[in-house]
Amino acid sequence: MSNLLEVKNLDVKFDTDEGRITAVENISFTLQQGKVLGIVGESGSGKSVTAKSIMQLNPGNTFYNNDAQIILENENTLNFVSKEDLRKIRGGKVSMIFQEPMASFAPAIKIGKQMIEQLLIHRDINKEDAKKISINMLKRVGIADAEKRFNQYAFELSGGMRQRAMIAMALSTMPKLLLADEPTTALDVTIQAQVIDLIKDIIREYQMGVIFITHDLGVIAQVADEVAVMYLGRIVEKGPVNEILKNPKHPYTKGLLEALPDINNLDEPLKPIPGNIPSPLDRPTGCVFRTRCPHHNPEGKDGKIEMKLIEVEPGHWVDQCGIQCGQNG
Amino acid sequence: MINFIQFTFTRAFLAFITLLLVCFIVFSLMELVPGTCAERYLAFKNTQGSSITVEDIRAEEKRLGLDKPFLYRYGKWVSNIIFKGDFGDSCILRMNINELLSGRFLLSLAIAITALLFSYIIAIPVGIISATTRYKSIDTTLKFISYLGIALPNFLVALCIMLFMTVYFGDTMTGLFSKDYETAPWSYNKFMDFLSRAWLPIFVLGWNATAFALQTVRALMLDENDKLYVMAAKARGITGMSLLWRYPAKHSLGPVINSIGFDLNRIFSALPIVALILILTEAGALLIEALARSNDQQLAGAIIFLLTATIVFVNFVTDVILAIIDPRIRKGVMGGG
Repeated sequence: MSNLLEVKNLDVKFDTDEGRITAVENISFTLQQGKVLGIVGESGSGKSVTAKSIMQLNPGNTFYNNDAQIILENENTLNFVSKEDLRKIRGGKVSMIFQEPMASFAPAIKIGKQMIEQLLIHRDINKEDAKKISINMLKRVGIADAEKRFNQYAFELSGGMRQRAMIAMALSTMPKLLLADEPTTALDVTIQAQVIDLIKDIIREYQMGVIFITHDLGVIAQVADEVAVMYLGRIVEKGPVNEILKNPKHPYTKGLLEALPDINNLDEPLKPIPGNIPSPLDRPTGCVFRTRCPHHNPEGKDGKIEMKLIEVEPGHWVDQCGIQCGQNG
Repeated sequence: MINFIQFTFTRAFLAFITLLLVCFIVFSLMELVPGTCAERYLAFKNTQGSSITVEDIRAEEKRLGLDKPFLYRYGKWVSNIIFKGDFGDSCILRMNINELLSGRFLLSLAIAITALLFSYIIAIPVGIISATTRYKSIDTTLKFISYLGIALPNFLVALCIMLFMTVYFGDTMTGLFSKDYETAPWSYNKFMDFLSRAWLPIFVLGWNATAFALQTVRALMLDENDKLYVMAAKARGITGMSLLWRYPAKHSLGPVINSIGFDLNRIFSALPIVALILILTEAGALLIEALARSNDQQLAGAIIFLLTATIVFVNFVTDVILAIIDPRIRKGVMGGG
C-alpha cells in the first residue's frame, strides 16, 4: 500500500528571545492509509509540534530546515503558501482534534454554526446540505438528540459529548489524515474507553490515516499499529506496537513502560525515569538522552556519539545511543 | 424569558441599592465638613458687610431644617431626589439646584459620553490591529502613543493645546461657547458654535480614555488570540477576516463592554480639572467650585449624586447588554432556551 504521509528529515526550530531553540530534530516516519501511528513522549518532547508542522500551525517564529519534506499524497505541504493550498491541509485533507474539546470550540458560537462554517469552506455545498451532513455526523459519533446539540454551545455539553462533537466536526470534511493530539487525556476513564472505541470504528469505516499523540502507553496499546517514541524532539525508537511494548530496546521506552503502575502489585513504589527533561535552551549535545541514561558517563564518549536509528528487528528501529547506554550497565 | 426579566429586575434593584449607599456616603461626607449650611451662608453674608449673631445662625438652621437628626435629613434628601427629582437649594447661591444644574449637567454628560464614544470607536479597531500585528512596528508605534496617552495628565494636554492655540490662532479656545452665544438661547448657530469649541474638551478627555481603552482591547485580543479555539478554527481552514472577527474579536467584546462603566467613571473624574482649565461652564467646573471654593455641600452632593447615578445606570445597561449578547451568561440567566 502506498504511503499516505511521509515525513522526511524534519527539523523544527523556534526563534525566541533567548535564542533559536530546537523543538524537533531529524524526524522521519511514514503512515499508510487506514493505519494508526502512535507518538508517545513526555511533555515537551515535540509530539504536538510535529503534528502541527503537518498543518503548518506552528507560530510565526518557527523555522523548518530546507531539506525537510512532509509529503501528503505526493505534495510537499511544507511548500504550501497560498490560501487554497493551506486549506487542503487545514480541515480539508487533514483534520485535527485537540486535548481540550471545550477550548477547541469557540465558546460563544453554536456548535452547528462552527460545523457549517467549516463545511462551506471545504466543500462545494449549500447551507442546508452542510446542516444535514453535520447532524448526520453528530449522530454517527453517538450523540443523542443531534438536532438539539447542533443548536447548542460547547459549554452546554458534557465532556465526553464535547469530544464526540469535536470528532464529528473533524470528520465531517472527510479528511484523509486525522491528527489526534491527546484526545482522551482530559476525559475520565470510562469516557476515554468510549472515545477510543469510537475513533477505532471511524478509522475502520473511513480508512483514514491517524497520528495519535499521547503520553499514555495504555492508550497506545489499544489504538496504534505503529509507535514512535519521542524524546527531546528526536524519535528514539519506532516500530510495530506489539514489538515495541513487548521488546523495548531504548532505555527511555523501557523507563516509560516501567513507570506504569503494576496492577498486580500496587504496593510497589512507582518507578519514574530519573532526572528531568532538560530545558530546550540547555539541550544536550550528541545523544539527547544521555543526561538521563541510568549508566551514563558524563566524561565519556556518549557526548560524541551521533544519534542514528538502527534496525534491530525487521521494522523495529532504535537509536544507537540508546543501545550503547543500555549496554554500559 | 421570565428568568431574563427576573435578572433585569434583580440587577436594577441592586443598582438602586448601590445608588442609595453612595448617596449615604455622599451625604455623610457633606455632614463631616465642618460647619453647616446656615453658618456658611451667614458667614458668606458677613463678608458682605452685615453683622450676624449666634441667634441668627440658630434661626437659619431651624429654617433649613438642620436641627433635625442626621438620618431624618438623609431620608428627606434622598426621597426628595428620588420621588420629586428635587435636589433642594444651594447653600450659598440660594438658588434651586435643579435650575442651576439642568443645562450644565447635560453638557457634562454630552461631553463625557461623546469622549467615551470616540475613544471606543478608535480603540476597538486600532486595538485589534495592534494585537494582530504584535511585535511589529505598527504595534510598537501604537503602544508608544497609547502609553503617552496614559502617562500624560489631561490637564497638561489641555494646557499644551491652549498654549498652541493662543500662539498660532490668538484664541485660547476655552469655554464652551464664544462670547456672542454665551447667553443666547439654543439655536442651530449656537449648536455649531458649541461644536467648534467642544471638540477640545472632548479631545482632551477622549485622548486619555482612548489610550486606556486601546490597552484594554489589545490585551483582551491577545488573550483570546492565544486560546486554543482560535488555533482550532485555523486548523479547520478558517482564514482572514472571519478568523479575526468571528473568533477572538467576538469573544473579547464582552469584557470590552464591561469596561465602559469603568471608563466613564474615569472620564467623570478627569472632567472637573479639565473643565477648570478650559473654563467650561458645565457641572464638573461647578463641582470644583462647590467643593473647593464656596464649600456648598448641597450643590456638591447633587452633582456627585448625578455622576454616580449615571455610572450606576451605565453599568446596569452594560450588564443587561452582556446578558443578551453572551450566550454563556444568557443561558445562565435565562436557563436552557
